[in-house]
Order: sequence, then C-alpha cells, then structure tokens
Amino acid sequence: MAEVKMLTEFYHLPEYQTLEGYKAKGGYQTLPKALKMQPQQIIDEVKTSGLRGRGGAGFPTGMKWGFLPKNNEPRYLLCNADEGEPGTFKDRMMMERAPHQLIEGMIISAFAIGSKKGYIYVRGEYVFPIDCLRKAIQEAYSAGLLGKNILGSGFDFDLDVYRGAGAYICGEETGMISSLEGLKGQPKLKPPFPAVQGYLRKPTIVNNVETLAAVTYIIRDGAAAYRQHGTEKSTGTKLFSLSGNVVKPGNYEVPLGYPLMDLLMKEGGGMKPGRKLKAVIPGGSSAPVLTADEVAKANLDYESLAGLGTMLGSGAVIVMDDSQCMVDMLGVLTHFYAHESCGQCTPCREGTGWLNKILHSILEGRGRLQDIDLLIKVADNMKGKTICALSDAAALPVLSFVTKFRDEFEFYVREGRSKVKGTTYAEMHH
Amino acid sequence: MPKCTINGKEVEVKEGTSIIEAMQKSGDRIAHYCWHPGLSVAGVCRLCMVEIEGNPRVQIACNTMVTEGMKINNTSEKVKDAVKWGLDFHLINHPLDCPICDQAGECGLQDQYMEYGKYDPEMAEPKQKKHKVVDLGPTVVLDSERCILCSRCVRFTEEVSKTNELGIFNRGDRSEIGCHEGVQLNNKYSLNTVDICPVGALTSKDFRFRQRVWYLKDAETVCNGCSTGCNVKVYYNKEGFFRVKPVYNEQVNGHWMCDEGRDIYKFVNKEHRLLKAQTRQGSANWNEMPAGAAAKAAHEVLKGASADSLALVLTAQYTVEEFEAIVATFVNEFKTKKVYFWINNKESFDSFDGLLLRGDKNPNTKGLLKVLEKHGLTATWAELTQGLASGAIKTVVVAGPENQSAFPDFAERVKELSKAQNLIWLQAGNHSALQALTNNVWLIPTKTFVEKDGTFINYAGLEQKFKKATTIVSEALTLTEAALLLAGKNLAIPTAAQPFLPTNQRPDQVALEARKKNEFVFKRGSL
Repeated sequence: MAEVKMLTEFYHLPEYQTLEGYKAKGGYQTLPKALKMQPQQIIDEVKTSGLRGRGGAGFPTGMKWGFLPKNNEPRYLLCNADEGEPGTFKDRMMMERAPHQLIEGMIISAFAIGSKKGYIYVRGEYVFPIDCLRKAIQEAYSAGLLGKNILGSGFDFDLDVYRGAGAYICGEETGMISSLEGLKGQPKLKPPFPAVQGYLRKPTIVNNVETLAAVTYIIRDGAAAYRQHGTEKSTGTKLFSLSGNVVKPGNYEVPLGYPLMDLLMKEGGGMKPGRKLKAVIPGGSSAPVLTADEVAKANLDYESLAGLGTMLGSGAVIVMDDSQCMVDMLGVLTHFYAHESCGQCTPCREGTGWLNKILHSILEGRGRLQDIDLLIKVADNMKGKTICALSDAAALPVLSFVTKFRDEFEFYVREGRSKVKGTTYAEMHH
Repeated sequence: MPKCTINGKEVEVKEGTSIIEAMQKSGDRIAHYCWHPGLSVAGVCRLCMVEIEGNPRVQIACNTMVTEGMKINNTSEKVKDAVKWGLDFHLINHPLDCPICDQAGECGLQDQYMEYGKYDPEMAEPKQKKHKVVDLGPTVVLDSERCILCSRCVRFTEEVSKTNELGIFNRGDRSEIGCHEGVQLNNKYSLNTVDICPVGALTSKDFRFRQRVWYLKDAETVCNGCSTGCNVKVYYNKEGFFRVKPVYNEQVNGHWMCDEGRDIYKFVNKEHRLLKAQTRQGSANWNEMPAGAAAKAAHEVLKGASADSLALVLTAQYTVEEFEAIVATFVNEFKTKKVYFWINNKESFDSFDGLLLRGDKNPNTKGLLKVLEKHGLTATWAELTQGLASGAIKTVVVAGPENQSAFPDFAERVKELSKAQNLIWLQAGNHSALQALTNNVWLIPTKTFVEKDGTFINYAGLEQKFKKATTIVSEALTLTEAALLLAGKNLAIPTAAQPFLPTNQRPDQVALEARKKNEFVFKRGSL
C-alpha cells in the first residue's frame, strides 16, 4: 500500500484554486448528478460508504444526518474549519488549495439534508484560507453554483464564511454554534443535540472540511468504490498531518488502515539522522501517546488505534524522537489545555489549571514524588465528567505520558532536571 | 407518568421531570450548586452525579430526564467518589477564609464538605488570584476568589430580572463574574443574586458583617411591602431584625422577592419605633405612659363624644382580624359609620412591574375593603375633609401606617387630621410630624406584622395567614387590643386571640420548641 490521492489528486496545481482550474479537472461534475438524485438516496449512499467524521470523533456521517427531524423546519449545514487541535493542518491546505472541492461537497450535503443556508466556520488565524474561500464563493455565486435555483434544479443554497475569534473550544460543535450565534464560545449541554436543536435552536449538522469534501467523491464513484479504500469499518482515505522529528513532515493522504510505521518511514522519510523513534501522538494532542513498540503495531484506522488505547482523532501525527523530554512536552500540553478550557464545568476549569500547576512545579524543580500519582488521580477524575470532551482531551495525554514514561517523571522530581536533556527547565527554555 | 426507583424507593413523577427534581420530590439529598429550581439548567458544577443502572458512567441528575423504569442511585461508592472529587475541584482555588466570610454557617461549600469531604487538601500549589471586594452595584459586593462560577446569578439576571447586567469573563480558571461594561448590577431584584449564591461570593451591602448567621433565628411571615404579599423569612435575634429572604410559594412569589421588600425589617426595629404611649394636651409637654393606660384615657374621650363627631381612619397595613375588631367596635359600640380608608400613592396604585412589585404599597388592601364592605361602610375621604373643615368631626382615631416610607403624603395627612380636636393616633413607628402635633393627642404604639398573628389578603384575593416571630416593643398593642381598650373593656390575659397555639401547650413551651427547631436553621435543605 502507498499513498492514494483522491482528495489531494490535483493539489499540486496552482490553478486548482480557481473555478476554471477546478472544473478542468472534473470539478462540479458530480453536482448535477447529485441534484438529480433524491436527497434520501444521497444520505443512503453516504451511509453505505461508511464515511466517518474526519474532525476527530469519527462519528458515522450518514448516521449523523439521519438524526435530523423529518419535517420542514429550516436547518443549517455548518462546516467546521476551526482546526484547533494542536498538530493538525490538513483543513488549511484543503481550503487553500481546493476551496471549490469543499464548496461542491457542501452543496451536495446541503441538498441531501435539505438545508438552504450554510456557514464555514474558519479559525481566526487562517487569514489566507479565508481569502481563498471568499474568492471561491464569489466565483461560485457568479457561476450560478450557489444562490437561488442552483443549475436549474430549483434547489437554493447560500454559503457564508465566518471567521472565528481564536478559541480551541470553538472547534467543539456546540461551542462553535455558540460562537456563530455571537455568544461566548462555550459548549452547550447535550441533549438536545445539534441535529435536533443547534444553530439558532434549529436542526443543525456540523461536519469537518475533509468529511464534506469526501462526500463529492462518494457520490461521484459510488459508495462501493469508496469502500475499496481503507478497512471494513474505517473506509476511504484520510489526510494525515505529519509533524515532529521526521525528515519530511507534511500532509499525506493514505487509505485508512495504513500502518503508522510506514507513514513515518516511507511518507515521512524516516527519523532524522542518528535519532531513534521514541513516541508518537497519533491523533492530535488530545490523543494518548504511543511508545515506539506500540507504533510498530499500530495501523491508521479507528479500530486499531482504539485497540491500543488511543484514537485517530483529527489525524495529526506528532512524532517524537529520543531527544525529546516527555516531562517538558507534557508541560506544553497542560499549559495549552489550561489556557483553552472555557471555564464552564468545574472539573475541567479547575482540573486543567491544577494539572498545569503540578506539572510546572515539577518542571521548575519543586515537585514531590506524590505529585506523579496526583497527576494521575486528577486526570482520572476529570475524564467523562464534563459537558464537552475538552476535559478528556486534557486528561488523556497526562494519563498516557505519566504511565508510559514514568521513569522520566520520577527522575525529574528527584533530580530537578530532565532525564533526556540533563538540563533544568530554565536551561531548556532560555 | 414514568415511574423510577431512587435509592430503592419507587417514585412516580410527571413526564419531562429531571432526576434532580424527582429526588427533591422523594426527599433524597443530592449535592448541587448550579441547579436552581427557578432557573434554567446549566449543568456546570458537575456535583449532582447519579448512577443509572445500565450506564457505565455517572450522569448529572439536573440534565437527565426520568424515563420509565429507570433505576437511580446516588449513595454508591462510585457516586460518592465522584462527588468528593467534584468538591475537590471546587475547593482547590477557594480561599480558606471561612472565619471572616459572611456566608459561613449557611454556605453550600461548607455544608457539602461536611457531608462528602472531610479530607486534607492535596493542592500544594498557590491558589488563583482574582479580584476581591468588587463593587457590582448599590446593593451587592463580589469576591471573585470565593466564586465557584455556578452562573446562578448570571442566569438570574438573564432569565428572571431580564436585565442582563452580569456575565462570566475570561476563560478557564481565570474566569470571573462581573458586570458588562458600563452597567452596574442595579435592578429591583438584585439581592436575589445574593440569596441564590451558594457561597460567599455575592454579599449584600446591607447585611454583610452585621451578624454571624448562627446568631440569627428565623421565622416565616408575609412581606408587608406591597399587595403582592411575598412569603418571606425574617431573621432576628434579641438585638432586632437583620434581614429578609424570600420563601418559595408557587402561587405568590415563586423563589424571589424584590429589593424594596428586603427593607421592611428596618422600621420594625426599636430605633424607629414608638416605645411608649405619649399624650399631650395642646402645647403642654409630652406625657409618657404605658400604652394600655393611654388607651384607657382615650376611652374617656371617646365615651363622651357623640357618634357624629367621631371618625376612624384606617390604613391598609394591618391584619384582617384587627380591621374586623376595630371596625366592629366603632360600628357597634360607638355607633358611627364614619370609617375612612387612607389611600396612599393613589396614582401608582394599580401599577405592576410584571414580576412582583405592585404600586399598592399595602399588604392588606383587599382585606380592609372586605371588612368595610361587610359593615356596609362607604364613607369617602372627601367627607372626612369636609367634616374636619366644618368642625363636625371632633375626635379622630387613626391606625397609621407601619411602613411610613410607603406613605409619601404622611406629613400632609397628619396636618390635615390635626384639625380635629382630639386625635388618637395608633402607630408602630415614630415620626417628626406626629411629635409636632399641638392638639389633644394620644400616640399609642402598635405592634408590627412580625409581632402578631394574622391574615393578609393579597392583590389576587389570596388569604395568607402568618404567625408572630418575636416581640420588639412589649408595650405595643395590636389593633384588636387597642379596640378593646378604647371601648372600655379589659384585656384578657393572655389575650383570647391565640388561634395558632395548641391548646395543651403554654407559650413558653412553644417558644422552647421553636428554639430547638432554630438550631437547624443553618442546615439548608434546599440550597
């Protein structure tokens, strides 16, 4: 197996950004076909394809669409392009290189779920992708691909770009909806789920950029063709954002089920010279870390990674070699979550801050040996106790880092310096 | 009507009831901070954890609806551990300043800690620093470090007072409550935020640092601030009354009361009261005497007066029983029909702010009207004015207002009534206009609403009975007693009207029972 280019086939062409360039490579040819289908047919096709949400949770897309109430209430299609998960940068490339691919996917999806209004929620820092999207939407409107009566089918769909204000939590679907409504970006209590009561209290579907883009290809080639890629339960291809201590970091599209080690060694070009693989975070910073031994066993699909106690997440593969201090690395993560917790639920608001304080006590040489167990206890009690998954996202890395690399933590507490680097926190960072 | 089992007990609840409501119904205790029956569900404190059979994870009770056959448990070790940790997260950044915190003694955190906690803190790191003594507005002070961010106050201003002054600012453990830019927490219901605050973060400027709550007793009564008749609890000790809080009554006030009503305890206290009867003949010096003696002396005047020259003026601030007693005395004993209703702030009488506050600042207008109607009394104030001007009315008995602040026309009316030759003025509070009177005056102190049993009838015609809380001025008379004495009768001791005492118990026994009950006032069943 090797890289399979389905979504990213023409990403190397600069003209693929424009409507003409996109059309020249077969773009907007699936749309007329989709508009002639029954909406339910499209939903069934997506269900059969086994497409799962590419944003992180891996929830079956067709099933999500099926939760919409069967009535004529106005409903919204939101595209989640907040891409806040540390290590993830695939959506950015998709929006920069092929904005029309996303737009076409959104029109087809909107037609399937009967939505007349869609928003693309892009994180505030993505200034260039937002420009690309806005330009592409303009082009699409002029070509009659958006707006009233698309391609004479009688279907209306309006699309807007909304620029986020830069909070990690706005990547959580209800947090994103709050933010889009003009409120403070805080997740909402579930139930009711967005599919029943979401944006402006109307039924709402929130999908990731990659998920929506993939819908076009499922309709183009049919569900069966899509299932050819990937494994039985994890179908299709997925973009992986490879980063860290590899020779060639970058976005790679591979079929699901692809061995993690191959991604590192073939696509990523292997470890930097003279370095040894130490650990990999396979699905964005919220996913539990894998040791080098576990990496050898891991395949990039939802089930294989779940079997190893971690998750595929957003597909951000962060590679660490033997020069990395895990205590220091975890310090970066806990600081991130303490900074980004929205502060609604007590276990997360206080827990993320507490974890960060304990970790920085250790890093600055004030740690106590019982702090290591305390980290585990605190993280354990943050898991599954809050409205959204940020609490889990903060707790899981702590649990995995501390249990899998406990020796490094113990050394740090005893000696007040890093086991790997041999230096103190101040020396490491100044 | 789904049936569920809570801690082994079967409970039947209405469709759409949450587990926490079902547990309130079944009487099971459950830890919670953010949930409040009068507000929307926030689901953020994560303390109301319950175990539901068939669900591996503990769930929050406030946002989970009861379904048929659900088996709920909140006494298992798993739940206790979850609550203990939930509490720990609340406490790690909470300052340990209970000894100087005004909430101590009725604090949700203290209560829950005693029930679920009692462990040593594991937090070795410094606590978060936040703003202290934040002036939110004219009535409320905020201490952000004590705040547990349950968002009850924010939801209150959004959903109940609909004034939207408060919000939560910043993120994570730096989050703080505050007022939006350019506004203050300044609405007619602002002090409810202090009541619903489960910790000492929001404190009332009026009450803070005046008493430790464990030195206070409480008694339920009906607010006499306006015709809504909110059910309230008054807090007092031997030094007087200190504060008023609302008591839940679905039919009247729900969970809330207005800020105006919280001031009603002030005129009850000694410094604003007539402590002894005072009489004065013309501009001679005031002569102090016991209230009973003054009433007896007034009886001599009334006895000699002809029915035509006698008038009674009533404010709607007394109980139905008292109105009945004094009106009956005047109609039957003194054979006069000249009973007048002193209406204050006529213009705003019918106004209503949509929540609780009504323009009629009397607790018992309906009650007075009922009594007047019963005796067929229809005299108008214009007739009184005319009678006083022509000198036909020579002797006037006035039952003056308890709450003088609700009577902006007080001094003016005193001046008008002083045209009468003899003025017998029954009132709880003192006033400079009364002290300036120079005709034949008898000022007789009366009891306030917290010092007597009785009934108020509110704007909607709802009869609300209340009991005596305590006595502030022992000299003072109720209107019933005054009516007896004015008619020349003797007071039976103890007074005949003790309708709420069990017959086999002496008053001191009842007081003892009440004191025992009050030992548990701090154990707030419904936070």
